[in-house]
Amino acid sequence: MKQLFRTIAITFMLSVAASPSFSQTGKTETYPPIDSDALEQFGGPEGVRNWVESLFYYIMLDNRINHVFREFGNIERQIYLNTQLLQLVLGGNEVEYQGASMAAAHADLGITLTQFNAVVEAAYNACERIQLTYEACNLMIAGLAPYKHAIVTR
Amino acid sequence: MEEAKRNKFPLSKGAALFVAMLASSISHGDLFDSGKVLATGGVSMIDGAGGGGITPWATITGYATKEGINGDLHYTYAPLANYTLHSVGAAVGFWDRFELSYTSSSLTTGSTFDTVGLVTDTLGGATGSLAGTPINTGIEPFNTTIDMEVIGAKVRVFGEAIYDSDNLIPQVAIGAFYKNNKNEDLLKTLKADKAKDWEAYISATKIFFPINTLINVTARYTAANQTGLVGFGGPGGSDKEIRPEVSIAYLLRKDTVIGMEWAKHGDNLEGESVEVAGLDLTSLQPTLETLGLSAVAGTLTQHESDWYDIFVAFFPNKNLSITMAYAMLGNITITPDQHGFYMSLQASF
Ligand code: HEM
Repeated sequence: MKQLFRTIAITFMLSVAASPSFSQTGKTETYPPIDSDALEQFGGPEGVRNWVESLFYYIMLDNRINHVFREFGNIERQIYLNTQLLQLVLGGNEVEYQGASMAAAHADLGITLTQFNAVVEAAYNACERIQLTYEACNLMIAGLAPYKHAIVTR
Repeated sequence: MEEAKRNKFPLSKGAALFVAMLASSISHGDLFDSGKVLATGGVSMIDGAGGGGITPWATITGYATKEGINGDLHYTYAPLANYTLHSVGAAVGFWDRFELSYTSSSLTTGSTFDTVGLVTDTLGGATGSLAGTPINTGIEPFNTTIDMEVIGAKVRVFGEAIYDSDNLIPQVAIGAFYKNNKNEDLLKTLKADKAKDWEAYISATKIFFPINTLINVTARYTAANQTGLVGFGGPGGSDKEIRPEVSIAYLLRKDTVIGMEWAKHGDNLEGESVEVAGLDLTSLQPTLETLGLSAVAGTLTQHESDWYDIFVAFFPNKNLSITMAYAMLGNITITPDQHGFYMSLQASF
């Protein structure tokens, strides 16, 4: 009985942690929805690529988190994959995401909410760096925010 | 009784241990946290809780995430037409779950009650008493002041205001204030039922990033007159009622928020006159007329309006926020059109 309860509990916890309520390879369903021209506002695939590059620039300058990426990350690969992911999240359909799920990629890292928020602050800095409007930047925040459940494990 | 006595010791020992643990952890620097994103700790509302300007939000004050604790010192200055509010206090947020706050407010009333004072002096004459009863209105020769202490606590119950953009569930918190108004004599003159009382609230807060908007809705269970600055309840008693409050904020930039708020207020003292030594001043109308003060009684009728404000909050960094607002507080006691600027500073650790 206890065993059964534990299995159910673990299954439930894993499914909550591993599956955000939307597919990982498509536009994020938010309330209210992300603008239909979000990808254009971001400057198309090129703009997204610029943003992801400056995101990693700011991440690697932030002493609260850069050590995690230095130790466990692969910046080239992450820039490449995040460029795919963000295009999809913003409603693009020309690309395919080739990386691991958010849960799988971050499971062993023990990421805290404070670290997650540090990435969000880097994200805002990156938006300013590429002269993106604050409104367009918030579409990206809305689109990536639900991944928090899969990424923050502590 | 025996039971309580026996339990008391371990409890205080537990509390002492807890404080010692806190102190040692803080000194080791691993309990302190400032991991929230800029501006997401909100500002300090006039009762001292984390929120907007006049409404407590479901957010926990300070910049700590669930990793630690953080807090703020706050000061609010609101020079209105007839009153000036100074409010200063401190608040601490624990693990983004629990919040404690203390605020001391001081409302100087300028010349507002000078008419009442004049009537009292006229009626009481040199003896300072009316029909043998000494008059104690709580009104000073000039600059009558109302001081109030507010202790607050808030617990986040469920929900995530910021990151759950894929559902409509807001962050929800419940909280309470205990308010102790020090000018009991003036409150008696103004016919409030109580000088000390508690109030409770439930708040729901959510950010909608695609439209850059934060919405907070609060229901406050209270009997307060002007948040307690004019006491609680009235001649009809001090039964509490549920009053709604709403804040809508537009995120203009990552460090700047503009918005507006509305808080429903009560009518415990609506249409009431002021009372001196157990006598309603309107019932003294004939006397006032004989004394050539007939115009006075009409201006001694109290009203209370809902509160509104429009604000801009600026967060230059995580250690400081500056809120400028225009507050439209309407009728306060016997004076109409209490509108004016409002400034609030919050320093976070
Ligand atoms: C919404 C926020 C985030 C998004 C969208 C995101 C996205 C990604 C993606 C697409 C990958 C590549 C997966 C793969 O290699 O197949 C990845 C890996 C990684 N992420 Fe994140 N991430 C986020 C937040 C974070 C945070 C907060 C940290 C740590 C502070 C972090 C640290 C890492 C590391 C170290 C890897 C490499 C893991 C490995 O290669 O084993 N990420 N992330």
